[in-house]
Amino acid sequence: MKKPITLNVNGESHRLEVPVHRTLVDVLRDDLGLTGTKKGCDMGECGACTVLLDGKAVNSCLVLAVQADGRQVTTIEGLAVNGKLDRLQETFIEHGAIQCGFCTPGMILSAKALLAENAKPTETEVREGLAGNLCRCTGYVKIVEAVLAASGSPDQAGSPEQKEKD
Amino acid sequence: MPDFSVVGRGVTRLDARAKARGETRYLGDMSLPGMLHGKILRSPHPHARIVGIDCRRALSLAGVKAVVTGRDLPPHKYGYLVQDELILARDLVRFAGEEVAAVAAVDEDTAQEALDLIRVEYEVLPAVFEMEDAMAEGAPRIHDVERNIASRVVINRGDVERGFQEAHLVMEDRFTTQSVHQGYLDPVSCITRWEDDGSLTIHGVTQAPFIQREVMAASIGLAPEQIRVIQPAAGGGFGGKLDQKVWVIAAVLARAAGKPVRLILSYEEELTAGRPRVPLVIDLKMGFARDGLIKAKDTGILADNGAYCSYGPGVISVASHRSDSLYRYPAVRCDAKLVYTNKTPTGAYRGFGNPQVHFAVESLIDRAAVELGIDPAEIRLRNAVQKGEVTIHGWVLKSCALDECIKQAMDASAWKEKRSRLGPGRGLGMACMVHVSSNRASYRPFDGASALVKLEGDGGAVLTCGEVDFGQGNFTAYAQMISEELGIRPDQVKVLPPDTSISTFGLGSSGSREIFIGGGAVRLAARDARRQLLNEASVLLGSSPDELEIEGGIVFPRGNREAGRSIAEVAREAVYRGRGLGILGRGTFDPGSELPDAGKYGNISGCYTFACHVAEVEVDPETGAVKVVDYVAAHDLGRAINPAGAEGQIEGGVAQGIGFTLSEELVSREGRILNHGLLDYRIPTPPDLPRIRPILVEEDDPVGPYGAKGLGEPPQNPVPAAIANAVYDAVGVQFRDLPMVPERVAAGLAGRSPKGRPGKGAA
Ligand code: FES
Ligand code: FES
Repeated sequence: MKKPITLNVNGESHRLEVPVHRTLVDVLRDDLGLTGTKKGCDMGECGACTVLLDGKAVNSCLVLAVQADGRQVTTIEGLAVNGKLDRLQETFIEHGAIQCGFCTPGMILSAKALLAENAKPTETEVREGLAGNLCRCTGYVKIVEAVLAASGSPDQAGSPEQKEKD
Repeated sequence: MPDFSVVGRGVTRLDARAKARGETRYLGDMSLPGMLHGKILRSPHPHARIVGIDCRRALSLAGVKAVVTGRDLPPHKYGYLVQDELILARDLVRFAGEEVAAVAAVDEDTAQEALDLIRVEYEVLPAVFEMEDAMAEGAPRIHDVERNIASRVVINRGDVERGFQEAHLVMEDRFTTQSVHQGYLDPVSCITRWEDDGSLTIHGVTQAPFIQREVMAASIGLAPEQIRVIQPAAGGGFGGKLDQKVWVIAAVLARAAGKPVRLILSYEEELTAGRPRVPLVIDLKMGFARDGLIKAKDTGILADNGAYCSYGPGVISVASHRSDSLYRYPAVRCDAKLVYTNKTPTGAYRGFGNPQVHFAVESLIDRAAVELGIDPAEIRLRNAVQKGEVTIHGWVLKSCALDECIKQAMDASAWKEKRSRLGPGRGLGMACMVHVSSNRASYRPFDGASALVKLEGDGGAVLTCGEVDFGQGNFTAYAQMISEELGIRPDQVKVLPPDTSISTFGLGSSGSREIFIGGGAVRLAARDARRQLLNEASVLLGSSPDELEIEGGIVFPRGNREAGRSIAEVAREAVYRGRGLGILGRGTFDPGSELPDAGKYGNISGCYTFACHVAEVEVDPETGAVKVVDYVAAHDLGRAINPAGAEGQIEGGVAQGIGFTLSEELVSREGRILNHGLLDYRIPTPPDLPRIRPILVEEDDPVGPYGAKGLGEPPQNPVPAAIANAVYDAVGVQFRDLPMVPERVAAGLAGRSPKGRPGKGAA
């Protein structure tokens, strides 16, 4: 069974007909071509598919596309504004927090949601905030450093959607 | 140490920006026109005869384009070291998860639905899951080999009996290690496509494209050269992407369907039917003199191969003797057996047998130190091999900074102040390791690498080679080397992932060889390009090549920068003057390693690496939970080409080691793996880990490029023992079975002597 939905992805609105069982990750990747969102376990257990749904980090492999109807989705492709990288993208690059990069989009979006709620987290809070995102390459050391380095910078306050409305 | 302008400096990874923007294309992000989706039907039984397979209903499902079973295929065998498996099972299945049939359909859902429509009739056979049972008289034979022993390695050097007689202290114990998955987040995958000329193109990630195609060629009736492997970006590997049988299945599906086929394993398939680490049972006996010097060592190893060999024989070869070059052993003996069982086949994982054996040896040495009243750091320093020595197996140590690693790890961890002096439930433990950087025995004809560096008309360079970056960052290190030699910026270098029809031959990413060997070839290719560049420039500038200098992208007569020409200009001119060929630097590097003899004697690697780790742990006596609160890892890596990259290798390797030690285990019952998700198979998450502290101990190696040695596998080797020894220091009980999950630790603590420290017990 298919259902018509409207997805607002990275500020662009898309009208789609989707099977009711189709997950958001598949719609983003296969129907909208936004392959920056990664599919690792497809079971809600690795965090590679993390996107922001109304500013909150969710595993898009656990969300049905119909559940996102009418809501704001931010993927990694939507994080840079007019070609200028988000501060988190910059600090991930600068701190060597990226190896294979498969966890990176999800990790950055989880960090984004974390900093929107807690602009100046402690190291422990960062580690806990990222507990749902696995990385097998880095041991998280440089990822945590990158998030701490981005914290407190002006562009991290509030979710992207809130900023758009400002 | 000489200083370089780009090598050893903080250079941003070439691919970081694209990855941070989500622009990097992994296999799952690619598709080809008309592409179908493949799925594999797997055996639910650990050992069974296939009586019949009925695919009719699956074939008649709309959208299904091909269904293939073992009986549709010629009975060619597949296998890396031993050809003991079929592409799809024909008459017998030997593990739960074995590939029985495969489907190609218009989408994944249809393919999945088709799998459910295939009827397989099995006659269940008696199965064996324990190695002892498999070797017993009258046990069911899994393959046609005596007592199910797939392979055996015997090492015998020096007079072991005399060593034990002369020893003041003889320690003996059994250690066991479990099966763990490599845990990359990007599952094994490929797109296969048959070309009009009958050749096969595979897009997919393997750690060794040239070797993989050699191994798979015969199994599908092709010559290796008829297979073109093109590599997309890779989301990790760690050994688990060396053996890609899935590619062969996708290839036969694509042939049957007449369309390209994409096949991506689910994570459940990864965990239940991947190629996880070979679990070992290690019976270890060591003799020590009163002053702590090692007199002799005797090891018995049983290695659980699972149902097929994959890399198992190579793993037990490493397990049998590699750790012996860490100390000055006068006599060693080992008998290692690889045993078939009706379980998931095992394979290569970072360390390749070395982490398992280091766990045993480095644990037993710690107990000996306590028995002898010698500081565990001191006993290691007394036995440590030194630069200039030849080890018991003929390894020539042209560089060795083991002592320095131990000292720096002690300083950084405040060893003297903290060891055995921390509060209750807290402790410090140390472990060391030795590893190779490549291994001539792994591919007999050749232990080198080759590379081509082409200069571009814009002043940049393009590198092609058969080496692989599955995420660790060696491609950026290569760009730094080229930048260093040519005086251009690293971001002016493009490193192309391997394409077997274009790249020169290479062995790929295994054996910690990519910096030492791959880098060796890249540097020489860049030097050759530089030589050609200077020759070309000398014609344009009218001065001899040895009067020229290169700096900031300009070639100029020494002392006269204004008269210079840009590299871009010279490169362009070279293209025209060379009638299109331009500047193409070629490099090949062979480290001068030697094939070992039948008894495993010989200098198998061009250099050797060492490390010393110190873990600090907190043990909860109630729950048995072990928390690593601090971790120092000092590595002798020759020289760091990219220091942040080197740190990243250490941090990631230690993190994997902590998972191996404390939480990860593929648990099976009756041959079926029970934890098929990442909630039950526990990879460390950010809160599980401390801020791992890498220390780069740099002492140039005379053979490696810029003095560099390998670093890929070493960081995982010492971790289990460092943690076990820290737990021993904390609670006086040494755990000899991995993983040290809370239940196991709590049970071990319940049975201990109340005295706690300095303990002599083991659990
Ligand atoms: S892919 Fe969604 S959590 Fe792993
Ligand atoms: S960088 Fe590879 S999984 Fe995180």
